[in-house]
Order: sequence, then C-alpha cells, then structure tokens
Amino acid sequence: MSKISLIIPTFNRPHLLPRAVESARHAGSDVEVIVVDDASSDNTASVCAALRNIKYLRLDHNQGVAGARNVGLLESSGDFIAFLDDDDLRLPGSLDHQVSLLAAHPEAGFVAGGVLLADQNCVPTGEVAVPRGQSGDLFWKVLELDLHLIPGAIVVRKECFLEIGIFNRRLAGIDDWDMWTRIAEVRPVLVDPTPVCIYRVASPGSGQGSSAFGRHMHTAVKHQTRLFSLPRAQAASSTQRRAVRQRTRRRVADTLSWRAAEELPHGAFRFAASNFLIALRLNPFWAARPTHFRVLWRTLRQLIARHKDGGIHSRPVR
Amino acid sequence: MAKVSIIIATRNRCSLLPRAVASARAASNDAQIVVVDDASEDQTPEVCGALIDIKSIRLERRLGVGAARNVGLIASDSPYITFLDDDDLRLPGSLDAQVELLESRPDAGMVYGSALFGDDEGHANGNSYPAQFPQGDIFWELLRWNLVPCPTVVFRRACLTRLGLLEEEASGIEDWDLWVRIAESYSVIATERAVAVWRQSTPVSGQFTSHEEKLHRLARRLHREKWLHLPRAIAAGAARRRKVSRAFAAHASQQLVWAAASRFKAGRIFESAQVALAGTRMYPLSVSKSILTLSTLRSLKRGLETYWRAERI
Repeated sequence: MSKISLIIPTFNRPHLLPRAVESARHAGSDVEVIVVDDASSDNTASVCAALRNIKYLRLDHNQGVAGARNVGLLESSGDFIAFLDDDDLRLPGSLDHQVSLLAAHPEAGFVAGGVLLADQNCVPTGEVAVPRGQSGDLFWKVLELDLHLIPGAIVVRKECFLEIGIFNRRLAGIDDWDMWTRIAEVRPVLVDPTPVCIYRVASPGSGQGSSAFGRHMHTAVKHQTRLFSLPRAQAASSTQRRAVRQRTRRRVADTLSWRAAEELPHGAFRFAASNFLIALRLNPFWAARPTHFRVLWRTLRQLIARHKDGGIHSRPVR
Repeated sequence: MAKVSIIIATRNRCSLLPRAVASARAASNDAQIVVVDDASEDQTPEVCGALIDIKSIRLERRLGVGAARNVGLIASDSPYITFLDDDDLRLPGSLDAQVELLESRPDAGMVYGSALFGDDEGHANGNSYPAQFPQGDIFWELLRWNLVPCPTVVFRRACLTRLGLLEEEASGIEDWDLWVRIAESYSVIATERAVAVWRQSTPVSGQFTSHEEKLHRLARRLHREKWLHLPRAIAAGAARRRKVSRAFAAHASQQLVWAAASRFKAGRIFESAQVALAGTRMYPLSVSKSILTLSTLRSLKRGLETYWRAERI
C-alpha cells in the first residue's frame, strides 16, 4: 500500500484536534499525519507536542486554510494526499479504501467519497451526503457547483498538484473548490458512495468558517468567470458557458434562499437576511419568485405564532 | 537526498534552458535540479527530456513564475533551496560555498551574494548588483528597496514551513515579498563574491513599459498593505514606518525617473513620457521634483537632440 499524507490545518481548536488526529491514524495502514498550526494563539502547540507520530508545523503568521494546506503539501512525502479539517473525523480504513480505488484507476486525479453529517458534537445525525454523479469526466459538474465536494472526503494523487499548481490563498473558503475544478479539467474523477468521513455541519452560531456560507458562495460565483478562462471552458461554445452560468446562479440562489428559510426558525435573523440578500443580488428574478416568498412568509408566520405561545423550540422548516 | 535544490521555472525558452541547467550542475556537487516547465508551447518538453539527472515537471496549464516556483518547491526535498531563472547563470562552485556559510550559522535564514549583469550570451559586462551588502538584520533595508538579487539567494526550507510559500498574487515581485518575510524573523548573511550572472532585460517594446509600471504599483501596494503590517513593522511605531515609506517612495521614484530618462536618451520619446506620467501619478511629489532637477533636464536636452537627428535622417 502506498504512503498517504494526511494534512490537517488547524487554528485555535486544541480541544477537537486530538480526536481528528486519532481518527486519521486508524484510517489507513501507512499514514503520515501532518498538522499545520496556522499561528494559533492558544495552547495548540502544547497539545500537539503531546501527540506522538505526527509532523507538526507551526506558521508564524496566520495564512488561512489554503496557505496552511500548501505548507502541509510542502512537507508531505506520500504519493497520495488527503485533507482533514480539525473538527471533522475520518472513518476507520477509509483512506486505504480510497487509495485502492485510485490505484486501480491510474488516470484519475482524485476520488470523492460519501460523508456522514454530524451535529456540533460530531455525533452523526443519520444523514449521509453522497456526491451525486458518476465517475468520469466531471469538469462541468464541478464547475457548476453541482457536485458537493467536502475536502475531508477526498484523496488526491500528489502528481495533480505538480500539474496544475497549489491552493490559491486569495480564495478564502472556496480554495478547495477552485482546486477540484482545475484538477477535474485535466483528469477524470472517481466518485464512490462509501462514507469516509464525519462532517460537523456548520450553523450560524458555531463560529466555524463555513458559517460565512453566503459570502463564500458569492465569491464562488464571481470566481467562476475566472475559471471560464481554463482551456476546456474556452473551447466550449459561448452558449454552453452562458447556460452553465445561469444554472450556477440559480443553484446558488436556491441554496442560499433555502438555507435562509432553514435558519430563520432558529432565530438566526441576520444570517437568514444576509443569505437571502446575496441570493437576490446574484439572481433577482429567481430568488424573488413567488414560491420563495411563500416559504419565507410561512416560516415567519410560524415563528410569530410560536413567539405568541411562548415556545422557543426550533423545528426544521422546509 | 541532495543538500540543495535548484528550482528553475521556465517558459518558452528552450534554447536558453540547457545553459542554465549546465551552470546549475557546475555550481554544486550535491544538488537536485528541478525544472518546472510552465506549459511551454515550444520544444521545451523535448529539451527537458534530453537533460539527464534533473527532476522535470510539466504544468498542464500556464500558472506564472510564482506558482511554477511553488510547484517546484513542493516537488523538491532538500533542506536548502535556490531559484534560478531560465536565462540566468550560476557561477561554478558558488552554491556549495553559500550552503556551507548557511550551515555554519544556524540563526541565519538566507544568504545572498553579488550578481553580475550579463548580455544575451551570458557574458558579464562588468557591472554588478548590489553595490552594498548589508548583513544581519536587513528587514528595514528590504522595506526600502529590493537589494537582493533573486538568483544569488540560498535559503532554508524551514523558513517556508514557518512563513508560508511564495505569494502568487505578488506576481513579478514574489521573491522580494519572501525576502521581506524571511528578514523579519531571521538574520541574513551576505557574501560579496559574485555567484550568478543576471541577464539584463532589454526593453524592446511598449509592452515592457506597462509591465514595469505594474510592478511598481504592485510593490507600492504590498508595501502599504502587507509589509508595513507585519508584526515587526507594527511594533516599531508609526514614525519608523513613515520614515521607511518615504525612503521607499524616494527610491521607487528615482528608478522611474531613471527609466524615463534612459528611454528619452534612446530617442523613445513616447515611451519615456508614459513612464514619467505613470511615475508622477504614483509619487507626485518626488517624481516631479526629480524631473525638474538639472541632470534630468540635461538628459532631456540630449534626448531631444538624438530624436531630432533621427528625424532628420
């Protein structure tokens, strides 16, 4: 079995990190765990000193997740690279399983696996997110944001970084999507439904990076025009590019409106409002269509009714 | 594992590349040569294939020098690193001597030396850069101007794992940005010995002007928005920062005026005006002041004479 380097960028989460490292150790038979401490201001350094058999790198100044991942890449020695966020977990044996898939398909750039969604305490809720799609050329699907790829569920061949470069530090929050798109442009992608990681779903109050969801989606839509300069997108007809653009805007507007409606009953008014406003800016006609207003109105009415009853228990609204 | 990695980023210069690789090979007895071909459209892949004992990487998409160097960094594995451009040369034995210096000084992050200016054939023309070699803590010197010639630097890999890789957005001056960051945390060694030959870029077209202007703008932006916000600059106080900003502006405007004047002397009036205008926009006070000094006026006169003579012929 080839060596796998698992890169864990971490920032101020010493209470979660040892659990992530432990899960990584059981995920494969020959795993090199690289923890990149992105200039944490707490006791992350001493926590890491107590962890055995890890490569610990500490940055002097905060570089962001992309910068930390790049430094991890610099020190990695495996033929396969996996990433794990410090609050997520890898399932036992999952790395070996994914590497065997990649070994069987030498032309594939990376393999994307299924994800068990979990609450704030990393207890799986029972929901499983599986990338919708068939293995093969997935460039357009990734570019359209149609394939939900979570870094923790992906194993990449190291050669890919030597073909298309490393993470772009300027794209905070979407640097991974930019990377997968660029890889998918030059190589086929493997999709495998087997769950490989436990993903702590962000909520507006959790202080996770992904609670800035709306802003990241907005950046992604803006950045997509730059990705259109990739040779394969350039070779396609302008009609196709326009269609991709329209579908992306719709999808993002839908996702943001839906997230807004979902979070509203939990009292996250600011989060809901900002998400819905971004959706309106991206695609006014699509986001402001009657269905959305009906959903919003119904949610608000329930909220008011509940407020009158004095109940504050949240209930997901669809 | 080799002691030092020489990273050569190249694009569409297959005729010059073998010369650079040969010079790199002669520069050290224990070096790993990494050539990163930035998606060249000429015969570079064949040329790389014919070169033995090198690690050759071909990018599928064009990424630019900074990103190509970053890829080279990831592919390399030596504890010491140096960059070489495909049109520059390393002098024989120069790398081993610099690596020895670094090994003897564990507190130092990088070592630089003198670069000889060369023509297209790689022959030194007698001039060299820089004129002075400050050592030790050169953080503030580097905030004034880039006194470190990129091909002469050897630095520790450990610097990158503490400070991060090259900043790809600083395209064109990503090396300067890295030296600033290294000098902030490490001391720097200098040798007055010549270690590399730097091909002097010859401005040929108007395109060069806009490129130069872009670099000046980028340097000004990085200086204001990034370097002056590094913890050491913040800790030094506002007065010190103002002083270094003034020195930076003075040096940059001097360079711009010189660029405008040299074009004027060569009879390229339009380009020269472009440079002068860009300079005045960026540093209104210092550039207009320099333009009005006597020496500049003299070169103006000479330039006009050359221009008229050319017109008459």
